[in-house]
Amino acid sequence: MIPDFDQQGKAQTKEWAPEVSAPAILLENVSKSYGRIFALSNITLALNGGVTGVLGMNGAGKSTLFNILMGKLKVSQGSVKLFGTNPWKNTAPYARVGFVPEHEKLYDWMTGHGFVSTFARLNGLTRDEAKIEADRVLNFVGLTDVAHKKMGQYSKGMRQRAKIAHALVNDPELIILDEPLQGCDPLARTTIMNVIRELGRMGRTVLVSSHILQEIERITEQIVILHQGRLLALGNLHAIRERLDQIPHRISIQAENPKALAKNVIDIDEVFGISFPDGKNLSIQTHNLGAIHSQLPRIIVENDHKITSIDNPDDDLASILGYLTSGGGA
Amino acid sequence: MMATKPDTIYRAFDRKASAIVEFTLRQYRTRTSTWVVLGVGFTALALIFLIYIDVMSSEFDSYDNDGDSLDYDNDGYPSGQEIRLGTDPWDSESHPGLFDPPVEPDPVSMYINEDGFDWDITSKLGKQTAGYDDDGDCLNSDKTASQKDTNDNGVPCDIVVEFYRTSDGQIYSEIDADFGVDEDPDEDAYSREAIHLAFVLSIGKLGFVLLLGIFLPLFMATGLIRDEMTSGTMHYMLAKPIARSEVFLYRTLGYLGIVWPYVIALGILGALISGFVGPSESFFRFADLGVWLAIIFATMMATLVYGMLFNALGVFWKYGIILAIPFAAWELGMALLSMGVPDATILRFSVVGWALMIVDAAAMMVWPNLDLFIVMGWWGGGEGGVFKSLDGAAPLDFFSSKPGMGLSAFSATIVATLVLLFQAAILWFIGGALFKGKEIQ
Repeated sequence: MIPDFDQQGKAQTKEWAPEVSAPAILLENVSKSYGRIFALSNITLALNGGVTGVLGMNGAGKSTLFNILMGKLKVSQGSVKLFGTNPWKNTAPYARVGFVPEHEKLYDWMTGHGFVSTFARLNGLTRDEAKIEADRVLNFVGLTDVAHKKMGQYSKGMRQRAKIAHALVNDPELIILDEPLQGCDPLARTTIMNVIRELGRMGRTVLVSSHILQEIERITEQIVILHQGRLLALGNLHAIRERLDQIPHRISIQAENPKALAKNVIDIDEVFGISFPDGKNLSIQTHNLGAIHSQLPRIIVENDHKITSIDNPDDDLASILGYLTSGGGA
Repeated sequence: MMATKPDTIYRAFDRKASAIVEFTLRQYRTRTSTWVVLGVGFTALALIFLIYIDVMSSEFDSYDNDGDSLDYDNDGYPSGQEIRLGTDPWDSESHPGLFDPPVEPDPVSMYINEDGFDWDITSKLGKQTAGYDDDGDCLNSDKTASQKDTNDNGVPCDIVVEFYRTSDGQIYSEIDADFGVDEDPDEDAYSREAIHLAFVLSIGKLGFVLLLGIFLPLFMATGLIRDEMTSGTMHYMLAKPIARSEVFLYRTLGYLGIVWPYVIALGILGALISGFVGPSESFFRFADLGVWLAIIFATMMATLVYGMLFNALGVFWKYGIILAIPFAAWELGMALLSMGVPDATILRFSVVGWALMIVDAAAMMVWPNLDLFIVMGWWGGGEGGVFKSLDGAAPLDFFSSKPGMGLSAFSATIVATLVLLFQAAILWFIGGALFKGKEIQ
């Protein structure tokens, strides 16, 4: 069974459709077990084109999934195809793949440029070609300034970008990034997100994992949610979110005068509860997050409230997972 | 777009190989452990060479094998001079001082090492005659013709040397000398040469082939793949279109890229030291260069096979170095066995047995009279006053062996090289297969 892609929006336009018939990634009933523990359980998934976020808590099976795709792990059941080829048996498809592993460890004694160009030669490039390509990708990820410094002196964000450059050097059609934003400073985070979005615009198939919903949200709408080795949801983040908004939800507003604000807010039909956790905050309970968010700005402006922040404390991966696993379905 | 790229990894082998080899070399360079291992290897060999230089620079005691420097009758003339001039060495009333004109007594030292080896023959099967009575104690004595030809070959005052093969294929030798021929050789000349040869062989076999051949790969090859797997950096290499057995091979080649030049450099150093220090007519002893070449080659082959083996053991188990230790012990046993029993079948199940065969074969080619030289030393100084085999003969006999399997030197070199290459290829295959079946987290 190949999942239906219709809800994936821009993921199926013609302009970036690859010239090959086999999809970049095709998993059929894939399970990976260690004894009795299932790291992945019966995953079926086909991806071709666009940026897909793989969401899951730690241990959900994201890295296991990626390691299976990269031929590092052998599936216990099912079949894996990378451009139509089983990656455990044949590494040939990696000519068209770039992989950014989760591991922090890099060759600290190498320069960023040395690292990228040396490994580019494993793609069959000559020494000179590799140097040119390394310059190109290092510029692409914004590391040109430090390209000839030892990677041991790199910050975490630079290291992640060096790893991304290494993965992009063969101009791959499929790029797999395992937690690329982990431990990055805000600046590096933005750069990396831009790089990933740019790759998506260039028509590449990008698979990026994270355990932070907001990160993925800023990169793509197309998501896969893994939970305890199972494929919990697949599709458009907004679609999932809209249904999530129907369940009881909190909105936390920090205001100068929470009590006055509460008087205005209580008139909205969708609000079924209001509480004051402390003197500066107002907490609203609702079944329809979207409706509140559409009316809130008008109320605030009309009544001239001073607002410091509006926050949705339930709007994270844990609550989505809570909702999905409590029988909501996606 | 990029779909035109062929879906095969069987291309650009040279680019991939040179990239990984270069990478591996640079990685070794940055590691302290590399320099420690190379430094320890150098120091160990340097110590052996210091001992060698010390031994070579000392005098080997000369002694009077036939006792003719003694003056038995206390007439002031050494017996040797009396025998030579025909007076009675046991009668104080008969001595050359009574001649007309009287002859002065010779210095005692003239009768030590006065009758050396004049063996202008080679090591070959069959009977050969050699020897000449330099001091005249056979030729000039008042013995009868048959007393001067105790070995019954019809020639007075000579030596019959025979090499023969027994039914079990072993070669033995027998020396039958007429009394008083070549019975007082120059100990210093023989022992210096014999100990020099024994040193070259022992340093080559134990120091190079065995010690470097196992020690270097043990510490440098075991982690070639394993360390990368443990640290997680293997992911970068394996994310490329390259077969794992290729990675295995290229990593091993990278290791050879540092180990082989090191072995060659130490071998050249050894050849230079032994060339300048060893006994020689000219300023440099060129005669041993062929053996040094074989020592270097055999060590290179040993580091190749062990490199593959230990790399594979590292892939097989996280603590592969523990598995490597029994192999090292086995090989040490085999190395010692090969010196005593070079024909033992069990040696064929080792690496070092074949590698040492290369050194033995070269010694046979470069020093064709090695057997004769050893036999000479065991025979020592004939049947004179004191019988004693010459210093150096025993260690030289221990450290030199026949290539075994009844092969000629040349074919032994070829066979041993092919076997070692075959072992390396099999171990590459096994290592690659182990690596391919390995799941990497």
